[in-house]
Amino acid sequence: MSQQRMQLWAAEADIDEDVDLNLAIGSYGQTDRYDDVIQQPQIDEATLLAMQQHMVQQNAFAQIPDPVKAFIVHFHQAVLDNNLAEITVAYESGWNKYTEKFYAKTEWPEAEVIAPLVNDDPIFLILYRELYYRHVYSRLQPDIDDRFHSYENSCELFNYLLNSDGPVQLELPEQWLWDIIDEFIYQYQVFCTWRSKVRSKTDDELGMLAEGGPVWSSYSVLNVLYSLMQKSKINDYIIAQRQGKSPEEIAEIVGEYGQRPLYRQLGYFSIIGLLRVHVLLGDFTLALKVMDSIELNQKSPFTRVTACHVTTYYYVGFCYIMIRRYPDAIRTFVTILNFIMRMKQYHTRSYQYDQISKTADRMYALFAMCHALSPSRLDDNIANIAKERFSEQYAKMSRGSQDAGAAFEELFLYACPKFINANPPPYDDPAALQNLVTPPDPADPTSGAEGAPQLDATHRHLSLFLSDVAAQSQVPTLRSFLKLYTSLGAKKLANFLDADEEEMVQEMMVVKQASRSISRVPGSEHLTAGGLLDGETITTSDLNFVIAENMVHITESTVGRRYAGWFIKNTERTQKILDDLKVLPLPASRSHQGQQQRLPQAPDSSQHVKGGGSERKVAWGGVKTAA
Amino acid sequence: MASTWIKPSTRPTTIDDLVNGVDRYNPTNLSILEDYLYHQIRSEEYDCLANLAILKLYQFNPDIYNPDIVINILIKALAASPLPDFNLCISLMDERTTSSHLDEPDPLPSTLPQLKNLQNLLYRCRFPAFWETYLSDEFENLRDNYTVEVTGFENSIRQVAIRAVTATFTRISSERLGSYLNLEGDGLVSYVQRLGWEIDSSTGTIIVPPNPDNQIEATVVQEQIKLPQLTKLISHAVKA
Repeated sequence: MSQQRMQLWAAEADIDEDVDLNLAIGSYGQTDRYDDVIQQPQIDEATLLAMQQHMVQQNAFAQIPDPVKAFIVHFHQAVLDNNLAEITVAYESGWNKYTEKFYAKTEWPEAEVIAPLVNDDPIFLILYRELYYRHVYSRLQPDIDDRFHSYENSCELFNYLLNSDGPVQLELPEQWLWDIIDEFIYQYQVFCTWRSKVRSKTDDELGMLAEGGPVWSSYSVLNVLYSLMQKSKINDYIIAQRQGKSPEEIAEIVGEYGQRPLYRQLGYFSIIGLLRVHVLLGDFTLALKVMDSIELNQKSPFTRVTACHVTTYYYVGFCYIMIRRYPDAIRTFVTILNFIMRMKQYHTRSYQYDQISKTADRMYALFAMCHALSPSRLDDNIANIAKERFSEQYAKMSRGSQDAGAAFEELFLYACPKFINANPPPYDDPAALQNLVTPPDPADPTSGAEGAPQLDATHRHLSLFLSDVAAQSQVPTLRSFLKLYTSLGAKKLANFLDADEEEMVQEMMVVKQASRSISRVPGSEHLTAGGLLDGETITTSDLNFVIAENMVHITESTVGRRYAGWFIKNTERTQKILDDLKVLPLPASRSHQGQQQRLPQAPDSSQHVKGGGSERKVAWGGVKTAA
Repeated sequence: MASTWIKPSTRPTTIDDLVNGVDRYNPTNLSILEDYLYHQIRSEEYDCLANLAILKLYQFNPDIYNPDIVINILIKALAASPLPDFNLCISLMDERTTSSHLDEPDPLPSTLPQLKNLQNLLYRCRFPAFWETYLSDEFENLRDNYTVEVTGFENSIRQVAIRAVTATFTRISSERLGSYLNLEGDGLVSYVQRLGWEIDSSTGTIIVPPNPDNQIEATVVQEQIKLPQLTKLISHAVKA
């Protein structure tokens, strides 16, 4: 390894000397040389262009800072060697470090420019472009060329993975594989959103969009995800694993692709990707259906990549909201929000952490909505945070007051996924496009300017949700009255509410309806017989009532105090303290050696669990030494 | 409960394969699914996920969109209330631009608000208002051109009301139930008898059979400790 670096430095030294010279040649070429060329017609224009481009590239190459060149060469070598550890370092720290240092506000050098550094290795260049475009999307403003080219590059990458002769030998870290799928869908989503805004397009863009064809089409995106899923036989793999088949049997089942970690992980992430794409397209049942074989628990493989873990729960929870299964949504959010809270103290990789905590905030908002619609005491901790963070909205939502709708709307728009339309506006049909651009009502041009509101997928879903919410808006009020009685005449209740008796009785059926939900019953969850869509009708409210003709009878269930969690938590804590005590060296060996013996143990044990413990050890030891 | 919704027992294998496979994206399979919809309409069956597969094909291929099919799907979904089927259908219906190359004017834009209105009344258990609206002059077009073809449509709506009544009442007066079902006199009596419900002949009160939702009991929920909660403790004890 060190030798290769030496070669690089040597090479760079040469280039360094060329820097000024190159620049000089560049400007020279544009003036005198140009005349020369015209006088010599045997050099055709293509050659000239090629030469010029070559010089431009050389120029650009010369401007790449040396550490970046070294980094790229090293990165390339790590990929060539399939050295996962080195790739991970380059991917997770190197790339970000040099982005901050040199490319915080500009693009990385184009792939063509750095090609000489990596012997024009086509695979590495595809991977490089993957990073290049991701950087453009996240830090800069992608133009239409970037959008089209990033699509082409994704296609090249997936083509290489799916259509080579047999499985490719490449290995990439899990995190990167997840990011590839994640970014692919993200770029698809931003493209669709950008595409739907007709008015802001230049003529060039309109032309390119009219001829864009399959670029970022929903079919092509789904095709990639389903292909990865099928090629890797990931569903068969998960099922076989759950059945406890031996590694040999599993290898037999999943075939040559599914055996390779790269394909298996991509297959897995594609399922999550499909979940997300289906939600973006408004297909909430299909979204939950693709997850059929995946067990939603903390032991699933996807939990190793935190971003994937969080994404999964966010979209699953959201689906449950849209199919009116608020208790399931609540349970989903509680699980992941608790996880994020625990993880917070260990997670240091800031670029991911930002994203995760943003998603967590949105899930708190969704949780607050569900909690208002279907109060439960599943987790007081999370509920308190959600209520605190969105206190104003929560108060309105849970009271079912007049402005509850506005609060629901606000939180929904803040927390919902970025919905998209499956199809572009009719760029290939100028007349129809013109219809769209010109607001039908010229008196109100602002409504058209906001990107043609009739095409907005988000508002379609919002209005569905709000109509569900509105149907339930009386429920909190009625419940608060019912709570005060054990039996009550319907007429009296109607009088309280200043309502017609028959209307009120019908409203009571809504209350009943709102107190029932289909839900995955917690106890049988690990059986996963029917996937995420399965469930049974459960009671979601402590308040129960029944109407006998015109008399309402009411009962309330109470929950006995819960001790188990407290005892379990504290027993576990005590056990840990005892364990920590046991591994402590005897007080006599407080020497330097003793310290060193202890230190290697810390990274050895899993950081998540023992992180706190090792700190305590130091503190304990410190006291001893002082004494 | 949910499992029959995910896969109705009446669903043929070919449809099941389509719904669960990637072939659902293939527009050439549209006619199979559309035929299945018409079969549901004729024989009082219902298969939400298969119908959503049709809407999915329309979503991706606006040029094969057929508004009559969409309206029929929505009509079938009405009777699923309070399940969210109707909304799930609407979620998949991307707004289409006006210049779809249809020979006839698209009936959906005028019918959709009517259907949404009906679903809203059902979801809010406003059954008398539902019948009044549905039977009004304005809705004549919907009745004459669509619901008339849907075998047992009115009965399927009555089932929505029956589900709500079953959960909420132990006894209900004939007039009230009649107004929910849009039935009176002999029609109501025979409907109630078909349900197997009793009528108190002296008062005309109908007795709703006991079921998990209309039997109330004040309970104290006691904590139950599940084994998985204790696995960590036990395994630790075993190790130690």
